[in-house]
Amino acid sequence: MEQNNKENYLVSTFFVFFLIHSSQTGIGLLSFQNTIIENAGHDSWISVIITGLSLHIILWMILKMVSNPTKDLLKIHQISFGEKIGNFLSVIVIGYFLLLALTVFRTYIEVIQVWVFPMIKTWELSLGLACLIIYIITGGFRTLTGLSFLGVVLPSILLLTLYFPLQYANFRNLMPVFNHSILEIAQSSKASSLIFIGFESLLIYFPFIKHPSKSAKWAHGALAFTTFIYLLVTLITFVYFSQGQLKHTLWPTLVMTKIVEMPFIMRFEFIFIFTWLLVILPTVCIPIWCCTRILKKITKIKPRKSLYTIMLFILLCSIFIDDRLKVDALGKFTSEVGFYFIYSYIPLLFIIYSLRKSKFKSSEY
Amino acid sequence: MRNFIKQKNNSIHDLFKDVSKSDDFYQFSTKSVNESPIYFSYYKSLIDEKKIHHHLLPYIQSAEEVFTELTDVMNAIPIEDREITSDAKVFINKLTKGYIFIHLTKTPEKGILVNLSNGTKGYRAFNDAENEYSVLGPKVGFVEDLDTNLSLLRRQITSEDLVFKEITKGSLSNTRVMIGYIDGIANPQHIQTMKQRLEDLDMDVIFDSSILDQIISDNANTPFPLFMSTERLDRTIYMLLLGQVIVISDGSPYVIAGPTSIFNFFISPEDYYSPWSVGSFFRLIRFIGILFSILATPIYVAVLTHHYAIIPEDLLTPLIMSRANVPFPPLLEALFLEITIEFLREAGARLPTKVGQTLGIVGGIVIGEAAVQAALTSNILLIIVALSALASFTTPSFKMSNTIRILRFPLILLAAIWGGFGVTLGLTFILCHLIRLKSLGTPYLAPLYPFRYRDLNDSFIRSSLSVQDKRYTFFRPLKLHRYNVKKHKDIEDDYNNE
Repeated sequence: MEQNNKENYLVSTFFVFFLIHSSQTGIGLLSFQNTIIENAGHDSWISVIITGLSLHIILWMILKMVSNPTKDLLKIHQISFGEKIGNFLSVIVIGYFLLLALTVFRTYIEVIQVWVFPMIKTWELSLGLACLIIYIITGGFRTLTGLSFLGVVLPSILLLTLYFPLQYANFRNLMPVFNHSILEIAQSSKASSLIFIGFESLLIYFPFIKHPSKSAKWAHGALAFTTFIYLLVTLITFVYFSQGQLKHTLWPTLVMTKIVEMPFIMRFEFIFIFTWLLVILPTVCIPIWCCTRILKKITKIKPRKSLYTIMLFILLCSIFIDDRLKVDALGKFTSEVGFYFIYSYIPLLFIIYSLRKSKFKSSEY
Repeated sequence: MRNFIKQKNNSIHDLFKDVSKSDDFYQFSTKSVNESPIYFSYYKSLIDEKKIHHHLLPYIQSAEEVFTELTDVMNAIPIEDREITSDAKVFINKLTKGYIFIHLTKTPEKGILVNLSNGTKGYRAFNDAENEYSVLGPKVGFVEDLDTNLSLLRRQITSEDLVFKEITKGSLSNTRVMIGYIDGIANPQHIQTMKQRLEDLDMDVIFDSSILDQIISDNANTPFPLFMSTERLDRTIYMLLLGQVIVISDGSPYVIAGPTSIFNFFISPEDYYSPWSVGSFFRLIRFIGILFSILATPIYVAVLTHHYAIIPEDLLTPLIMSRANVPFPPLLEALFLEITIEFLREAGARLPTKVGQTLGIVGGIVIGEAAVQAALTSNILLIIVALSALASFTTPSFKMSNTIRILRFPLILLAAIWGGFGVTLGLTFILCHLIRLKSLGTPYLAPLYPFRYRDLNDSFIRSSLSVQDKRYTFFRPLKLHRYNVKKHKDIEDDYNNE
């Protein structure tokens, strides 16, 4: 059934790199440092590496499931659990993607409210952002891919700002290495999985890739690149802040950009936050697009209708989540759900799928 | 066209009455040797009357033989473009194109149509491409007459591969529209799409090719031009070489071409006439100009309304000083100045050249100076607005430079509402719009998205001619290779002068 995706809706294979990288990097990068240090302290950069490496296994499972022949999560569900239960599970996955989108959406608005406009109403910003998101998604997957691409390339200039905190680096902050137990490092790894989630949307958009069989290297490359960026940011944060400071800093990445100073610009974090819009947009749009895609295939609801409904839902939710604590709680909840989705559900699905697959003849695809 | 004829009479006999209603329709008769009259009917306004007296009448009046049949008359006429017809459609088509109708009875059923058109009467003889001026390079521009334009193109590309296909469009104007391309380079799919879109279009009069441009464009609501429109010959040749399909319509000095990418609009032919480093520099200047032109005023509004903390202390003092007496919020101040500049530009474009120049001085210097003294605007904003207006004129394509000037207004409004967030929101919106746009089905933002690394050598910069020896891949030409640049034998790579 996937073969009837028309040629001009497909995107080049190497865009898998940008799709995966951009669907991971988002709001998490601004604040993950003080979550991951809770257990492993200054050693938690090891946790970031561990999480990054472990995700390669998950990614391998995902790629194994969706390729040969090319299919998406819906088909995998149907093969593994039969038509009815499979579709039911797919509907639950919609909820998961919705949660991902909502978290990023609301947290970004929270950042703007805290850092730039303390007085602004949530609905006001939500409405502006929602219009943009609707416009992007109605452009289809091709537009989404374009946005992911430019959302990686254009903000990459912000990486240069990492140079400024390095001027005040204290490398002894990292010493002594391996000062924490394996359990503590593992717990930190779990905490750091939040920043990596998002790439599982590959399960839905995989059939839109032009040469699916060649996409593996790009996908793994993207994951490695994300890990590298996170590692870099983690290390620089650790050498800039002491552990005590970091515990009381909510958005360490933003605090680090505060010190950037140029002859014509101060308070560089404003620029950083505004440019960050380009980074978070793919992390919001790709999950929402996945929702509309699943809905379209299961219930035959027109994507336009479902898109407006979903956006209305997100808008209402973000208005009801009206204070800092609730936003925090939402983030924690999503992180937890994401962790179990990736580390429990996907391996489970992989096992069931592998067992059931042999009963399916290739002609039944 | 079809309906137009159907409703009316369908024989020449009936049509003749309709045609005679107009006072510029003339009819006279002359007698041949056997005294039987020969009638000549024509629109005086379309016929070169000298031709009647020199090339037509003498041969008929001095003929020795007896004219009994139309074929006899036709054989006596020394003009190639002639035919005998009884078809009403052909009759009216040719009569309104400057043919004279020769017949033997007063209200005829059939007759001879002879071409005596006065051709390019009233048209410009040449056009030195003043609207797309460049210092270097040929200054040949297209004129209103289609045949002149075709001849200009043919003389540059003397290859049988240059193909023109004619389509007649316009139910009242019957304008000749030509689709041109280089066979074996232009993608047949583009040619087919262009042809199909032109054939599907229904218009009464085609005033200019820019009307065609709007009707056949992929997205009629976008402010961005989706087809290149140029009056320069060298630019058109270059577009043909790259595999683009051009459309020329009679009566319009502008050629439109598609598919295009947004980068094509920032390329001036002059870039290729200067060394590549110089050409690249000027092109970069243009891109900086565009960014400045779109962003400068919105950023001013955003910063002064919401984020004055962003300005360093040393810069804040002059800013505050210049704004100290201005009673308006930055939004009103900026809109006031921006609209003044637009007034100036619009008035300058409507007025005769000499008055326009005076107006520029009066408007630019007097109004600007007075506005600052009257404390309506700040000095700094005046500089910013004037600079961004200037920067918008660096764009070589007139249509694109208009688009760029319009884009800043929504951004100014967004900046006033949401500050920097509004500006990024607006910019992202524009970016997504550009990603969504297509020209003849080809992505508009290529080679940036879809990303084509090799094609970037002629986008933001213009690299050396030896590097860009291939065509853009995103136009999907049938042949990529253009030429070979070989190193001259007398230039040696010898660092030691041995």
